[in-house]
Amino acid sequence: MSTSPENPERPLLAWVRDRYPIAQFAEWAKHKTVPIGPGAFWYYFGGITLFLFFIQVGTGILLMFYYKGSADTAFESVRFISAKVPFGWLIRSVHAWAANLMIFSVFIHMFSVFFMRAYRKPRELTWLSGIVLLALLLGFGFSGYLLPWNELAFFATKVGTDIIGVIPVIGEPIMYVLRGGEEVTGSTLPRFFALHVALFPALLTIFTAAHLFFIQLQGIHEPDAWKAHPEQRKTMPFFPHFFMRELLLWLITLNILAVLAVFFPAELGVEADPFSPAPAGIKPEWYFLSTFEFLKYMPAHVGPMEGEEFGLLIISLGFLLWCLVPWIDRGRGRAMTTIVMVTGMAILIFLTILTYLGFVA
Amino acid sequence: MRGFAAVLVLVFAGLASTVTADELPGGECLKCHLEIEDTIAELWKDDVHARAGIGCDGCHGGDPTRDVNELAKRSGSGYQGEFTAQEITLSCGGCHGDIEYMKARNPLLPVDQLEKYWTSEHGKLLAKGETRVAQCVSCHDAHGVREVNDAKSPVYAANVPAMCAHCHADAEYMSDFDIATNQYSEYVQSVHGKALLEKNDVRGAPACNDCHGNHGAAAPTVDAISNICGTCHSYNAELFLESSMASAFKDKSLADCVACHGKHLITHVSDEWVGDKPGTTCRKCHDEGDDGSDLALYFTDTITSVRQSFEEIEDLLGEAEAKGMDVTEGEDYSEAARQGLLQARTLIHSFSKPVMEDKVTEIAANQAAALEVGYAQLKAFEDRRRGLAISTLLLLLLTIGVAIKIRTLPPLE
Repeated sequence: MSTSPENPERPLLAWVRDRYPIAQFAEWAKHKTVPIGPGAFWYYFGGITLFLFFIQVGTGILLMFYYKGSADTAFESVRFISAKVPFGWLIRSVHAWAANLMIFSVFIHMFSVFFMRAYRKPRELTWLSGIVLLALLLGFGFSGYLLPWNELAFFATKVGTDIIGVIPVIGEPIMYVLRGGEEVTGSTLPRFFALHVALFPALLTIFTAAHLFFIQLQGIHEPDAWKAHPEQRKTMPFFPHFFMRELLLWLITLNILAVLAVFFPAELGVEADPFSPAPAGIKPEWYFLSTFEFLKYMPAHVGPMEGEEFGLLIISLGFLLWCLVPWIDRGRGRAMTTIVMVTGMAILIFLTILTYLGFVA
Repeated sequence: MRGFAAVLVLVFAGLASTVTADELPGGECLKCHLEIEDTIAELWKDDVHARAGIGCDGCHGGDPTRDVNELAKRSGSGYQGEFTAQEITLSCGGCHGDIEYMKARNPLLPVDQLEKYWTSEHGKLLAKGETRVAQCVSCHDAHGVREVNDAKSPVYAANVPAMCAHCHADAEYMSDFDIATNQYSEYVQSVHGKALLEKNDVRGAPACNDCHGNHGAAAPTVDAISNICGTCHSYNAELFLESSMASAFKDKSLADCVACHGKHLITHVSDEWVGDKPGTTCRKCHDEGDDGSDLALYFTDTITSVRQSFEEIEDLLGEAEAKGMDVTEGEDYSEAARQGLLQARTLIHSFSKPVMEDKVTEIAANQAAALEVGYAQLKAFEDRRRGLAISTLLLLLLTIGVAIKIRTLPPLE
């Protein structure tokens, strides 16, 4: 092993340095900065989401050591994980809570980006890749919810896939492929398992890499006011200043996860029985509650359309507009910016109220 | 539109009635009786015999091809309008007791009804000339005879108690027969009556005929009681008949099951029935301090103790579950113990301490296992809390370390 004359006590570093241009990377990292504007705190939520994703990967791999993804064995294997595997309950509970916190964190991240207008040129693709990541995380949540194969998850999946089936033209084929037939059955579980541990992780890795690559390439968005008043510009080095603060929040997040896992461990409930009637009060996970409630309030028919079809059309149009926000508000007119911001605030309040109503319903 | 619908209804209704009248056997008799709106003719439409192609002349004789009353019922045609009670049994029994005749028409139907009837209390009295007793049409009706499994039939399981009560609950009607009339009022309050009449358990719950017999209806003899109850409660009967109590009951001419459980008013069994205290069932025969009373005391103490343990198990598992712990295994053990308790209650009919001891040992093992799971889960919860405290402390130290490091970083420009 070779040594470096500059660093005689660190032979491994010297060995790497001799072969790879890490000095350039170190130089880049040294000069990487983060703007410290009025909303700087919200920047940390992207990193928190990434940290929770790493926890999900770690705990997910550990769960796969024991999980058996078929209708005959899934429930018992999860029970075995919770009851018999050393720290199995902890791994499962952390996985379940980290999933929820990750989606919560990514929502905060998205709305903070929105209200700071960080989606504007040249960050349109960062915005779009972020929306794809949100959709993938929701897909992770939906597919993972069924895996314990308990009664609640079974019927929630049935309701969820029913909603997909309402989408005109493409809805039914998608529902059929997801379910592996006309109904949610034992054939559905391996499909959701495959999506959860193979397809979604692969896509998430690709889009996360693209998302981070865009951010590194273009830097973090700076407050608009700095353009007019460059003297107000203030930054902090990413290493170590920002990174240490991010680390602090990661430690706090980890502790919150531990508390939730100990005091509110993931429940298992009753094994799914496709032939039993649906129990009362079936609800999806909290992040789908607003959609669920919105569709519930739809009348039976709106003009020539079914109420649910109309509701889904509204949601789809809203989602499309949300994707197109960077092109709607290009920062050229104050009026359009105000309209977009007020609309965004109204959407946030609307989603919060519907989620609350879903909880208390 | 509404008028057109009304016409359609009338046309179809007319067609329907024509078709029914034409298809039913009965010939000119039926046509005539339908025209005069005779209820007998209306009932006949739903009669099993009519559906089997048997006409009015099958029982009443006469000539159904004649549309003039005098010719149809003329002398020499064999016509008989009304029957005496005795004649009814012989008329029905004439066909239903004919093996060859019935084999050709309904081979699954028994052919011993008349034979049994003459062994029943009803039949015996009728043979003596008492005509106020039940015969075939008293229970089955005359012209609207339906199959037993037809819910509209008076002999459908759920209708049987009321049908029997029609005579047996009528104190005035029964006054000459020296028989109680409270059977029905007691039966409706019994577990059997509630199961049959309130829960409509027509397959499981017994009606009058299930214990007394159908065509051979009679009060069961003392010797027959355990066989009758044992038809459904077979294990209880088996335990009792093999126990020392069976011969003791026989010596005292006690009716096995009935002596403790009652007859028509059989209520839910309670653990309080067993014991050595005055008012308990055992004290009907046993005195305080004798062997039987001591055994009863052992039974009651044992079952009370087992029941109290369930309270402790429920509290413990409930506490662990409320803390988010998985107590499914404990619930499985508890359920096994509950099944054991049910079996132990049945084993009382063995009147054997060793038999009960074996079962109690099994119950106690399951209860102990359930408790063990509960305590283990509570301990596991405490361990988790301790682990959380340690990990929180470590994370706190790390957090403080990072915070100190942040404060020692060069100030921002």
